[in-house]
Amino acid sequence: MASPRPVNHGNKNHDLDQIWDDLKQGIEHVYDRRGMSKPRYMELYTHVYNYCTSVHQQGQPSGSLSSSVRSSASSVSRTSSRNRQTGGANGNHNSGAQFVGQELYKRLKDFLHEYLSKLIEQGETLMGEDVLTFYTKQWEEYRFSSKVLNGVCAYLNRHWVRRECDEGRKNVYEIYQLALVIWKETLFEKLHKQVTNAVLKLIERERNGEMINTSLVSGVIGSYVELGLEDDDQNCTTTPNANAGLNQRQGPQLGTYQKHFEQQFLEDTENFYANESMEFLHQNPVTEYMKKAEQRLSEEHKRVELYLHDSTLQRLMKTCETVLIQKQLDTLHNEFRSLLHAEKKDDLGRMYMLVARLDDALGEMRDHLESHICAQGLAALEELGETGGNDPKMYVTTILDVHKKYNKLVLTAFKNDSGFVAALDKACGKFINNNAVTKAAQSTQKSPELLARYCDLLLKKSNKNPEDQELEDTLNQVMIVFKYLEDKDVFQKFYSKMLANRLVSHMSASDEAESSMIGKLKHACGFEYTSKLQRMYQDIGLSKDLNDEFKNYLREKQDTLPLDFQIQVLSSGSWPFTQCVEFALPSELEHSVNKFNEFYNTKHSGRKLSWLYNRSKGDIVTNCFKNRYIFQASTFQMAVLLMFNSNDSYRVGELAEATKLKMDILVQVLQILFKARLLVPPNGENEDDLTADTVVTFFKEYKNKKLRVNINVPLKAEVKQEQEQTHQVIEEDRKILIQAAIVRIMKMRKVFKHQQLVAEVLNQLAARFNPRVQMIKKCIDILIEKDYLERTEGQKDTYSYLA
Amino acid sequence: MAASGATNDEMMDIGGAELDNNKNEKMFTLKKWNAVAMWSWDVECDTCAICRVQVMDACLRCQGDGNRQAGGKQPECVVVWGECNHSFHHCCMSQWTQQNKRCPLCQKEWSIQRMGK
Repeated sequence: MASPRPVNHGNKNHDLDQIWDDLKQGIEHVYDRRGMSKPRYMELYTHVYNYCTSVHQQGQPSGSLSSSVRSSASSVSRTSSRNRQTGGANGNHNSGAQFVGQELYKRLKDFLHEYLSKLIEQGETLMGEDVLTFYTKQWEEYRFSSKVLNGVCAYLNRHWVRRECDEGRKNVYEIYQLALVIWKETLFEKLHKQVTNAVLKLIERERNGEMINTSLVSGVIGSYVELGLEDDDQNCTTTPNANAGLNQRQGPQLGTYQKHFEQQFLEDTENFYANESMEFLHQNPVTEYMKKAEQRLSEEHKRVELYLHDSTLQRLMKTCETVLIQKQLDTLHNEFRSLLHAEKKDDLGRMYMLVARLDDALGEMRDHLESHICAQGLAALEELGETGGNDPKMYVTTILDVHKKYNKLVLTAFKNDSGFVAALDKACGKFINNNAVTKAAQSTQKSPELLARYCDLLLKKSNKNPEDQELEDTLNQVMIVFKYLEDKDVFQKFYSKMLANRLVSHMSASDEAESSMIGKLKHACGFEYTSKLQRMYQDIGLSKDLNDEFKNYLREKQDTLPLDFQIQVLSSGSWPFTQCVEFALPSELEHSVNKFNEFYNTKHSGRKLSWLYNRSKGDIVTNCFKNRYIFQASTFQMAVLLMFNSNDSYRVGELAEATKLKMDILVQVLQILFKARLLVPPNGENEDDLTADTVVTFFKEYKNKKLRVNINVPLKAEVKQEQEQTHQVIEEDRKILIQAAIVRIMKMRKVFKHQQLVAEVLNQLAARFNPRVQMIKKCIDILIEKDYLERTEGQKDTYSYLA
Repeated sequence: MAASGATNDEMMDIGGAELDNNKNEKMFTLKKWNAVAMWSWDVECDTCAICRVQVMDACLRCQGDGNRQAGGKQPECVVVWGECNHSFHHCCMSQWTQQNKRCPLCQKEWSIQRMGK
C-alpha cells in the first residue's frame, strides 16, 4: 500500500482536482465507447484509489500510533458519523477520513446527469420505432459504459460506499447502481411514456399479424426490469434485515416494469381482445371462435417467453382467459348444447380445454352433459317400445351403446375429467333405473331383472353361445350396467334364481364363465353378496363326486338300478327353491330313491334329504308307437304317463288319487300333455275346463318328426308363483337389511336423531338398494317393539339404543 | 287341442323301423332320471341359539373367517346334537362349553349325542 505519507487537510480538494481532469477525460472516453487499453484503465483505477487512500491517511497521521489513540480515533469517527447523519447529507470534510469519496461520488453523479441530459435532447422528439431504436441502443451503451465505470470506481464502491451504507445512509449506491438510478431519474422519466407507447403499438401490430423487430421490445423490457432493481437497497447487502429483503425481492424489484409497462400492457390486451372477440363472433361461428381463442392464448404464451418478463405470464394468461373465455361463457354454453347434439367431438374437446383454464367454470357444462346423456338414454330406451321389457339383450345393449358412446366422449373430449365422469355416472344411474321400460313395468326393479335375464341368456347353453373371450368381454360390459343399478339386491335374487336353474338343469354354457361372473359380482359387492351363489356353484361340483361314489356303492352292494340315475344334492338355504309339493312317487322310481337315501345316510349323519320332484326330470321311452320316441319329461309327467301302461283312459280324479298331485297342478300337467298330443280330452270338450270326472284318453296315433321330444314345459303356476315369491323375498330381505343397518348405527351412536338416522341408513345401504323412507320408519317401529330402541323421553324425534 | 295350431300331420315316416318286438313291453319305460334333492341338518330348530345364524349356514365366526379368506371357501362348520336333542354349530358349542358345560337352552349337562357330517 501507499506509504504513510502525511497529507494535510488542505490538500484534499486539491488532490481531487488534480486527478479529476484526467479521470473525467477517461470517463468521457468510456462513455464515448472508444476502445481503452489496459494501462489506461489501470491508470484511471489508480486515480480513484489514490484519491480515496491519500485522503484516508489524513485522519491517522502516523501508522505507528498507539492503539489507544487509534481506538479513540475510531470512536470519534463513529460519533461524528452520527453527528453527520443528524446534521444532513452535507458532510463536513474535517470530521474524518471516512467521508472522503463523497466529493468524487458527487462529481460522478453530476457527470452522469450531464451526460444523460444531452442524450435526452437527442431522443425527446423521436416517436414510434425510432424512439425504441434510440432507447435500446443508448441503454445498451450506457449500461456497458457504466459497468466499466463501476470497475474503475471499484475501490470507492468497496470502501466509501460500503461504509456509507453500513451506517444506514440512504440514496448512496455503488456506481453502477448510481448510473441506473440517474438513468431512471432523468432519461427514463422524460421518455418512458413515449417508449412504452411505442412498445405497446409494436405489440399490437404483431397481434394484427405484422412482423416486428422483437429485439426492440425485449431491449426495452430488459431495461425496465433492470431499472426496478434500485428500488430495493441493493448495495446494502450486509444490513441485518437482508433476509427480509430477499423475501421481498420479487415484488419491489419489478416495480418499474409493472408500473410503467405491465399494467398498461394488460389493459391494452384486455381491450384488444374484447374488441376482437366481439367482432369475430359477429362474423364467425362459435367453433371458429374457439380455434381463434386457442391460437391467441398460445400466441400470448409465446409472447411472454419471447420478450416479456416471466412474471407477466400468469397475469397475462389470466387477463386473456377472462376476456376470451369467461366473458363468452354464455355463448359457449349455448354452443355446448348444440355441439353435444351434433356430436362434434373435436369442438367439444376444444371447448373443454378452453373452459377448463378458468377456475370452477365447468359446472354448467357438466350439468348440460348429464342432462343430455340422460335424455339420450331415455330416448333410446323409449324407442324400444314394448319389446324393451321383453328383450333383455336389446335392453342391455341399448344401454351399453349409450354408455359406450358418452364414455368415449368423456375420455377423449373431456380428458376423463373427474367431474365429467361423475356426470356420466349420474346420468346413467338416472336413465338406467328410471325409463320408459321400467315405467311400463311400473317398477324400478325391472332394470335389475332384465340385466339378470341378459346374463342368463349369455350363460345358458344355446346354439349361439359366444366364444370364451367374447363372453368374458360381454360379461364385463354387463358389470358396467350393474354398477349403475340401484336395486342390486333385486339383481341378486333374479340372478341366483336363474343360476340355480342353469346349474340344476345342466344348462350352463361354461363353468369358467359362471365362476368368473360370480367373481366379478363378488368384487363389486363383497363376499356376502355372492356367498350363496358360490355355495350353489360348489354344490354342483360336490354332486358330481357324489354320483360317482353312489355308483361305487351300488357296485359294492352288487345292486343295479333299472334306469340311468343321476342326482344333485343341494344345500338348503342357499338355493332359491321351494320344498316339493305333495306327490306320490311312481313305483318305478322308488327303488332308486330308497337306495340313494340308504347310501347318503352311510356317508353323512345328522342330515335329512328332501326330494324336489318338481325339479327332477328324466327320459321316458315309448314302445307303443310306430317309432320309438324318447320324451324328456318332468317327474310329474312321467308319473301320469306311466299310469297309461295299465289303462288307456282315466278320469282326472283317478289320476289325482294315484299321483297325489293337487288338482290345479295336475290340470296343468295334463294340459301340457294335450298340447303334446299324447293325451286327448273327451270329444268336443274344452281342454281348459277339466273336472275330476273328465276322462282323458291316451292318443295312440302320436307322431312326431323328431324322435327325441322335449315335453317338459314349465308349469304356468310355477312360473307365476316364483315371480311373486321373488318380489316377496326381496321385500323381506330388505326389511332385515334395514333393521341390521339401524341397529349397527344405533349401537355406535347410542342416541340419534330420527332424520340423521334415516340419512345414515340410506347412506349405508346405497350400495345395495335405495330403501323407501316409509320402510325405514316401519323398521324403526319394529325395532322399538323388539326393545332394540326406545324413543328418548322428553326429546322429540330422538331414539336411544337399548343394549 | 285344435287351438294349439301346429299339427304334425305332414310329418314323414321315419324309416321302416317298426318295433314289433316291443309289443310285449310296457308302453312307457323309464330310461333316465335326473333327481334333485335338498339336504339340511335334521334339527328341530334351524337357528343356532348361540350365534343366531341358521345352522345351514356357517356360524358367525366362520363366516367372518370365510370373509377374510380370499377364496371364500368356508371351513367345515357342522352341527352338533346334545343328549337333550338341542343342536348348535359345533364351533359355537365348543366355545360355550369352555365356560359352561350345560346346554344353553335347557341347562341340562351337555354331552354330545352325535355330530353332523
